[in-house]
Amino acid sequence: MRFMIIRKADKSTEAGALPSEELIAAMGRYNEEMVRAGVMLVGEGLQASSKGARVKFSRGKPAVVDGPFAETKELIAGYSILQVGSKEEAIEWVKRWPAIDGSGEVEIEVRQLFELEDFGPSEAVQRMREVGFAKRK
Amino acid sequence: MRFMILVKADKNSEAGVMPSTELLAAMGKYNEELVKAGVLLDAEGLHPSSKGARVKFSGTKRLVVDGPFTEAKELIAGYWLIQVKSKAEAIEWVKRVPNPTGEESEIEIRQVFEADDFGPALTPELREQEERLRAQAAAKR
Repeated sequence: MRFMIIRKADKSTEAGALPSEELIAAMGRYNEEMVRAGVMLVGEGLQASSKGARVKFSRGKPAVVDGPFAETKELIAGYSILQVGSKEEAIEWVKRWPAIDGSGEVEIEVRQLFELEDFGPSEAVQRMREVGFAKRK
Repeated sequence: MRFMILVKADKNSEAGVMPSTELLAAMGKYNEELVKAGVLLDAEGLHPSSKGARVKFSGTKRLVVDGPFTEAKELIAGYWLIQVKSKAEAIEWVKRVPNPTGEESEIEIRQVFEADDFGPALTPELREQEERLRAQAAAKR
């Protein structure tokens, strides 16, 4: 099973504050443990929403709104993807997130990823397999 | 530049309604275009939040709250990771996302950090570790 570990945004990430050397080092140690355990597949950080945009579709028509977006708590600041045996195992890894991040006040969401098998067999799913994306388990 | 294209959750995705064959086919076609243009790096769909959890950190405390979470609009149902030259180009791709139901939807575009963005805090040693871990993690996929 794969889980997406979503680090929610906060005032500091939305202000564009960059991580300190100490935090980068702590994240590096944490990621190193997960890579050694063979559970970490991906990890990325997101720039503040001021560098982003939203596209709202209404009756199929897109309207573009540039960032920043005010509801900081709803935003994402980064994510990792873990391959583990259960949701509990994913949560155990999340509990070990470096405590110095966000001065110890952080919220992280754990979400299960779809696998192609979840969609049941169809021509469209077979085509996705052939295109080669979402090929991982 | 890399951008993360976040598809917001809605009632259907949170209720665990699976995409129709029509939608899967439309998405497949769209993804195929992204692949042919050489911009697609990754794409995934997320199960409803009922299969997830949240961990809230406060000092040394770790509070685990199981899903589902009620604020569907704040949740994510899936994402693409794309490599393009500008935010404008990312927006052009997003405008072409299939929306066969014709219902309201919202997609968020966010720029992804690159190693160069971190400045001197990412020391040469930390950068080397980062690159090594990325390569090792990628080999697992």
